[in-house]
Amino acid sequence: MSEKRILRGVGVSSGLAIGPARVVQWDLPKVTRRLISADHVDDELARLRSAIQTVKKTLAGLRDQARERAGADEAKIFDAQILMLEDPDFVSDVETLVRENQLSPERAFEFRTLELTAMWAQSASLPLRQRVADLNSVQKRVLNHLTGRSLESVMQTDDDHPVIVFTRELSPDLMIQLAQGPVAGFASEEGTRTAHAAILARSLGIPCVMGLVASLERVTPGTAVILDGNAGTVVLDPTAGEREEARETQRLRHELERQIGETDTGPVVTQDGVHVTLLGNVDLPDDLDAASKRGADGVGLLRTEFLLLGRSSMPSEDEQAGFFERAALRFEGKPVVIRSYDVGGDKYPMSFEGSSEANPFLGWRAIRVCLDNPDLFRTQVRALMRARRHGDLQLMLPLVTTLDEIKQVRGVVADAAAELERENAPAMTDLPVGVMIETPAAAVLADEITQLADFVSVGSNDLTQYTLVVDRGNARLASRFTPFHPAVVRLLKKIVDAGTRWGKPPSVCGEMASDPVSVFLLLGLGFRVLSVSAVSLPVMRWFVRQIEAEEAAQVVEEVLTLGSADEIRFALERAVGERVGQQLVSSTRLPHSNAAATLHQSG
Amino acid sequence: MGVTEDTVTVANRLGLHARPAAELVKVAGKFQSEIQIAKDGVWVNAKSILGVMTLAAEQGSVLAVKADGDDAREAVAAVIALVQRNWDFTDV
Repeated sequence: MSEKRILRGVGVSSGLAIGPARVVQWDLPKVTRRLISADHVDDELARLRSAIQTVKKTLAGLRDQARERAGADEAKIFDAQILMLEDPDFVSDVETLVRENQLSPERAFEFRTLELTAMWAQSASLPLRQRVADLNSVQKRVLNHLTGRSLESVMQTDDDHPVIVFTRELSPDLMIQLAQGPVAGFASEEGTRTAHAAILARSLGIPCVMGLVASLERVTPGTAVILDGNAGTVVLDPTAGEREEARETQRLRHELERQIGETDTGPVVTQDGVHVTLLGNVDLPDDLDAASKRGADGVGLLRTEFLLLGRSSMPSEDEQAGFFERAALRFEGKPVVIRSYDVGGDKYPMSFEGSSEANPFLGWRAIRVCLDNPDLFRTQVRALMRARRHGDLQLMLPLVTTLDEIKQVRGVVADAAAELERENAPAMTDLPVGVMIETPAAAVLADEITQLADFVSVGSNDLTQYTLVVDRGNARLASRFTPFHPAVVRLLKKIVDAGTRWGKPPSVCGEMASDPVSVFLLLGLGFRVLSVSAVSLPVMRWFVRQIEAEEAAQVVEEVLTLGSADEIRFALERAVGERVGQQLVSSTRLPHSNAAATLHQSG
Repeated sequence: MGVTEDTVTVANRLGLHARPAAELVKVAGKFQSEIQIAKDGVWVNAKSILGVMTLAAEQGSVLAVKADGDDAREAVAAVIALVQRNWDFTDV
């Protein structure tokens, strides 16, 4: 198949769409340099205000449609666009340019928006850069209105069967307006998963691929295309075989969704009878409920950082104890692992200012800050001991690199226990202390750490990042960030072997635990406890039930001899594909991509 | 009457992005006072959504809020309360 026919971008809304391509050219109009005469200023300003009013009315209408078709939160996106046109500073700046510099309203409006889009586009803030599309769209609407061109005329069409719309940039207003007609899929050159239009596409349930760089010139209007919102691809002029394959993929995905929907919340056992414990990760208080409802066997990682946010002093012992108690009660005696504060010194309230560092991920953070501030740490430990009366609360230490850190923490724990006993405070002071293995140092010392700690858990994201020296937030390095690197795989082996030796089975609480192919690797290595995000619980429960642990172990034995991440991933994917269907290897993530990854991934 | 000033830390994960900015501007717009908001010493009009968005305040940013006018005290309190309540959003 000719590569020229395949366009690759980012799948931002899942699903497959087949139909003829429609290219919508909705760009900024050319604004002629025109000065106005002084006696026309008032007329021109009236024309500008009328254009702004009209566009505001259009946007308000689209907001109502969005509320109806997608939801109240999606509708709020439009409020921001409408408020841009009501912005007192912006409007008065534009009017001043017309009044005092005698620019035409088009020029004045364009001048002010260009200033802003230039500033936003260069901003260090990713959310702000992504809002450029929303501002551009407001600008396009006003300028096209002033120059007498309407989106309706651009959209004029006699399509009566669903089309795949191609456009340079998708804004939420453009999308909802286009979706009034028969649209099976959206494709754009600009944009990523967290663009407002991407969120909207997911809520509308319309497949969408963004980031198809320089693709418009390759798409002839009317050509048949297959758009795959999961894979992020567009196939132009597909063959009969490709169409058939697309329909089969679609069928398999629906089948998988149906099966997962039926999966109960009972025990998680592999085909060959191996029990796997599925715990939930909790980032924010609301996740407690979500994880519990989806049948988590406890909490493998409860992050406490949210307790610090939005405040100018540390949360009190009572406040922390109250929250920990709620978590314990929600899980009725099942283990709830609380991670001590895992942020840099500059993120703590109070007196840690001035600690901005060149390399914060290699800096003064997590357990290092806690041990350097024993009062702060002891408060958290005391709160845990007091709340432990209500359930199986445990303490986990992030970013451990030395055995001495564990011993120091044991000292703090013993002091806190003695204090509480002296005070006759109601508490359970036998607090288990676990270690998060997420640095190469800790992984190499896995044996000694497992012996010293009450339990260990692998933080796979940081372990990968620190082992491979790859910043996982750096898009340019994205393909180099892989837990299938042989160095990471061998460290994982070392950790699980140490657990077997000391009779303390380690858990995994990073993103690996939510990815089917990675889970196959983890099960094959011998991990039996996984802590995953609440949204991933149903999929992972279903997936583990399809696997044979013995088969995974055999595949992993071979994988351990391989020398590259690609070879390892390929071998694992082949094995998983044979077990659950080749198509599903790439699409098992589908069921939660639409439901969960919506608004909180964007703004 | 007079000038009131206070600070607050942005708690929601994605910071002061479009929807929170829209809410903030709407709240600010209910007051007569001039209200300004700053991050790292850069002040913008709290009634201007483009200004507020341009601040690009992220999670953990400290915002200063000040108002000048008859209802300055109430205005600052309302803006601070909105940020502290985390915009009443559950998942942003």
